[in-house]
Amino acid sequence: MQIETRGLIRRFGSVVALAGVDLTIPSGLRIGLVGPNGSGKSTLLRVLMGLLEHEGEVRVGGFDPRRQRLELARQLAYVPQIAPALAASVTELARAVEALRDLDLAELRTRAEALGLRWSAIANVPLRALSGGMRQKLLVALALSARAGLLVLDEPTASLDAATRETFFHMFGELPATTTSILCSHRLDEMRHLVDHVVSLEEGHVRFDGPAANYLATRALSVIEVQLAAGADSGWLDDLGFAAGHAGWWRRTVAQREKVELLPRLAGMLDGRLVNLHVRDLESIAVDESREGS
Amino acid sequence: MSRRRTELVALARLDVHEVLRSRWPVAVVLLYSALAALLVFAALRESNVLGFTGTGRVLLSFAHGLLLLLPLLALSATGQTLNRAREEGALELLFGHPVSPGGYYAAVTLVRYGLLLVPLAAILLALPAITWATLGDPIPWAYLGRALAIGAALLWAFTGLGMALSAYVTSQARAAILVLLVWAGAVALVDFALIAVMLQWRLHAGTAFFLAALNPVQCARMALISGQDPELATFGPVGFFLAQRFGAGGLFALGIGWPVVAGTLAWLAGRARFRRGDLV
Repeated sequence: MQIETRGLIRRFGSVVALAGVDLTIPSGLRIGLVGPNGSGKSTLLRVLMGLLEHEGEVRVGGFDPRRQRLELARQLAYVPQIAPALAASVTELARAVEALRDLDLAELRTRAEALGLRWSAIANVPLRALSGGMRQKLLVALALSARAGLLVLDEPTASLDAATRETFFHMFGELPATTTSILCSHRLDEMRHLVDHVVSLEEGHVRFDGPAANYLATRALSVIEVQLAAGADSGWLDDLGFAAGHAGWWRRTVAQREKVELLPRLAGMLDGRLVNLHVRDLESIAVDESREGS
Repeated sequence: MSRRRTELVALARLDVHEVLRSRWPVAVVLLYSALAALLVFAALRESNVLGFTGTGRVLLSFAHGLLLLLPLLALSATGQTLNRAREEGALELLFGHPVSPGGYYAAVTLVRYGLLLVPLAAILLALPAITWATLGDPIPWAYLGRALAIGAALLWAFTGLGMALSAYVTSQARAAILVLLVWAGAVALVDFALIAVMLQWRLHAGTAFFLAALNPVQCARMALISGQDPELATFGPVGFFLAQRFGAGGLFALGIGWPVVAGTLAWLAGRARFRRGDLV
């Protein structure tokens, strides 16, 4: 489902949430939508789904989201960032969705179980009585069972445990190649494994629109921590941009591309002075420094 | 079943579950019952109320109590419907599916109105049935039908107003305040209160009576006693004036018709606002 926006503007009073967004997303692409808080990500998702009014031109799968919202909604599945605490039970919600759109309840149940929900235990429980994580799992299962041409996910794994996230990655990977998806997330592993294109927003402007690999090379951060033996010369670490810490530890945060360049140099220079070494990727990507496009 | 009807039924069923679990229908039934019990056990001691006797007297008193209660219940049940659903994220979830704003608006209205009307009808039927069984009073079917029709019209007037309020006012807190203000205005601006305002502001009598007739509560009150001889003491100044002009039949038609029209107009305005604006 192809997505196109031209001069997309959305204001909330005096605040400009989207300031002229131009995007062309081909059908079947898996998009990662990133940006700091208040950058316009959720507003963009809502405009694309026809939930908000806007200025400018928007086409999603050939539909005008505002004028043809129902037609679009039949081909779209959405996981909101916060699952509402409805008083209706899981079964009541599932039956309502089944009546509203093509939904296989057996598939929903299978997916929900795979995501760690025990259907027999939650079927008659009001959504508001479920934990945030359980509600999120249910909404993910609902969205994936809808077999939609466009999947819109607003931080879908924010409340999920590690094992469930793995299952979600697996399910996401099994989606048909024709499914277009937009995943709003700050998590490095999701950007790395689930998307092939990144759109970065900042203050309502598109700051990056290109391949995920290019984006992650500069935005995914790693921390390198080196502990030197007592009395060892450390001035060279200062020259390499490391900051001194306690007990002989030195630390530097680097982008992925820098990490690949820096580690061999570091290994060559440590000689016999090394006591300990940590290299770890940060879970969140840096989203507030982007300036260039692809 | 057509797609539109399927949507309406699915959303109404979902809202019924929402509302039943929120327990306000229980509060509605308790309030109706408490009012009825109070009138049966206390007001019955009065031998004559506005010319009514026996079960009719109890029903009249009950219906008068309802004139105050029904607007508040209807406004409370509807005035925060859309803004609350929006704030809690329910609208965002639902409109991620093929749900039309008009369908959702209609389904929610239907459920709220139904859950207010059904217990009212049940209590209105139960009340004369009890007095018939215990005191042997005949059931005043005509008056019962009149009270039910007026109650239904009044409920619809304020259900429509409440739905419009929830569509136009995006903040739940502001909506709660407006619900109280609308209710207070509606129950205060009848008869003598309005006449006092009229005298204070030196309004023309015809203007004051016209303003009074715009108030669905006043209309409903007039319709309730429209079967009586038009006496000033019974009707109050506004009712007396209008009864002289329109007669009993006209008064009843106005008392039923205007609340229905007012509620429908407000409901349509709210629906137009909801469909036109941001959905979340």
